[in-house]
Amino acid sequence: MATITPADLIKDIGGLVTLPDVYLKINRLVDDPNTNSADIAKAVSQDPSFTVRLLRVANSSLYGFSSKIDSVPKAVTIIGTAQVRSLALSMSVASSFAGLPNELVSMDNFWRHSLLCALAARHLAREARRCDPDALFTAGLLHDIGELVIFNRLPDQAREALELVLDSQDEMPIFQAEHEVMGFDHAEVGGELARQWQLPPLLEECIAHHHAIANAKSHPRETALIHLANIIALMAEIDTLDPDDVPPIDPLAWELTGLNEDSVEPAMRAIQAEVVEVEKLFLGNS
Amino acid sequence: MRRSWNNNYQSYAARILPGEYYVTKNDEGVYTTLGSCISACIRDRVLGIGGMNHFMLPSTGAAEVDAWKASSQSSATRYGNYAMEHLINEIMRNGGKRQNLEVKIFGGGRILENMTDVGERNIAFVRDYLQLEGLQVVSEDVGSIYPRMVVYFPSSGRARVKRLRSLHTNTIVKQEISYIDTLKAKPVTGDIELF
Repeated sequence: MATITPADLIKDIGGLVTLPDVYLKINRLVDDPNTNSADIAKAVSQDPSFTVRLLRVANSSLYGFSSKIDSVPKAVTIIGTAQVRSLALSMSVASSFAGLPNELVSMDNFWRHSLLCALAARHLAREARRCDPDALFTAGLLHDIGELVIFNRLPDQAREALELVLDSQDEMPIFQAEHEVMGFDHAEVGGELARQWQLPPLLEECIAHHHAIANAKSHPRETALIHLANIIALMAEIDTLDPDDVPPIDPLAWELTGLNEDSVEPAMRAIQAEVVEVEKLFLGNS
Repeated sequence: MRRSWNNNYQSYAARILPGEYYVTKNDEGVYTTLGSCISACIRDRVLGIGGMNHFMLPSTGAAEVDAWKASSQSSATRYGNYAMEHLINEIMRNGGKRQNLEVKIFGGGRILENMTDVGERNIAFVRDYLQLEGLQVVSEDVGSIYPRMVVYFPSSGRARVKRLRSLHTNTIVKQEISYIDTLKAKPVTGDIELF
């Protein structure tokens, strides 16, 4: 068998997974200096299902606004256009990937980890300051997106990597097992997908380098936040504060973010409480 | 049996799969991953000889409600009794004394939300078995919703349990189902070895 590269995997999934029109429209408008928030509100309103979900999120405890946000223009003005773009991508992505099923991991379990990471990233971004919590939320939600591509396109190798983790005594991290089996990992595949989809560079870097943050060149701080958020999400999932129960945190992440170990427990407790509501908002069927 | 070096513990450890067991006199570990299955870790606390098994009871019909009881002689418990007796007999064959045995039990998690609680049945069986045999459990980590990775060192009695993320749930379920399928393929005939 010829050697497969991440680029090969991404090349043939274009027909299976596409981003919805509403995101592509909002994306174009946000990048266009001649548009205003009314144009973006109009684009949102053309997709009734997205409109309903955007208003639900805007009124949820994620934002905690005191007055009710009952219209799209109000939501766009209050939340901000760049943030609406992040939300549009976040809300689109789970449904887009329904077209890429797999037999190795349940989608519920996959997205629960992604959402825990998204919430942790948002929490840490607020604490670290000088970065956009909504963009970090989206980065957290998408950080493992390459897994779904690998599970669907290379199921045998993916299974071999999962079995390798279980056979290792210390629960070898999955990206390391993927390297041993395939020569590349889900972060590289996700990075390739982000490039192909022309996602914002911040997202591309966070996805591609969350396991090797020293390689992040344009957004090292955000990438470090996703690295931390991923590990805190794992702690929240198995309900532990013992660092030996999860993969090690790269010390560079503390240096880059200005945070320290004291941030771990509050973030972990907060996301355990938040994930129940947010799961309904982002993964509900309506 | 796959054995590999463990850097954390500075020793070798053997990996067992569902249906297997491993007993050692040496200063080495034994490890496995558990979903709804049970691992009993048993050793002679004086001699440091011991090991681990890994088993579950196959499902039974509704008619056999008490089928998990170790004394019921149902088709289900034969496999549980078999797994427990093999481990204990092997320890005694290697010089272990019954009165020195110390037991730890792990596993029996409810790792799939929409499944009947087979883990609970496995826990009930092993507790009942140990009580009937008069063997004391010195520590346990059973039930709840998590898959587990367990490493046990018979020479010291030390056990380390690590909860596993749900990414691994389906792989573990698949290993447990293929073990159950091998049990079903084998007819339940012949006697259990007794010492």
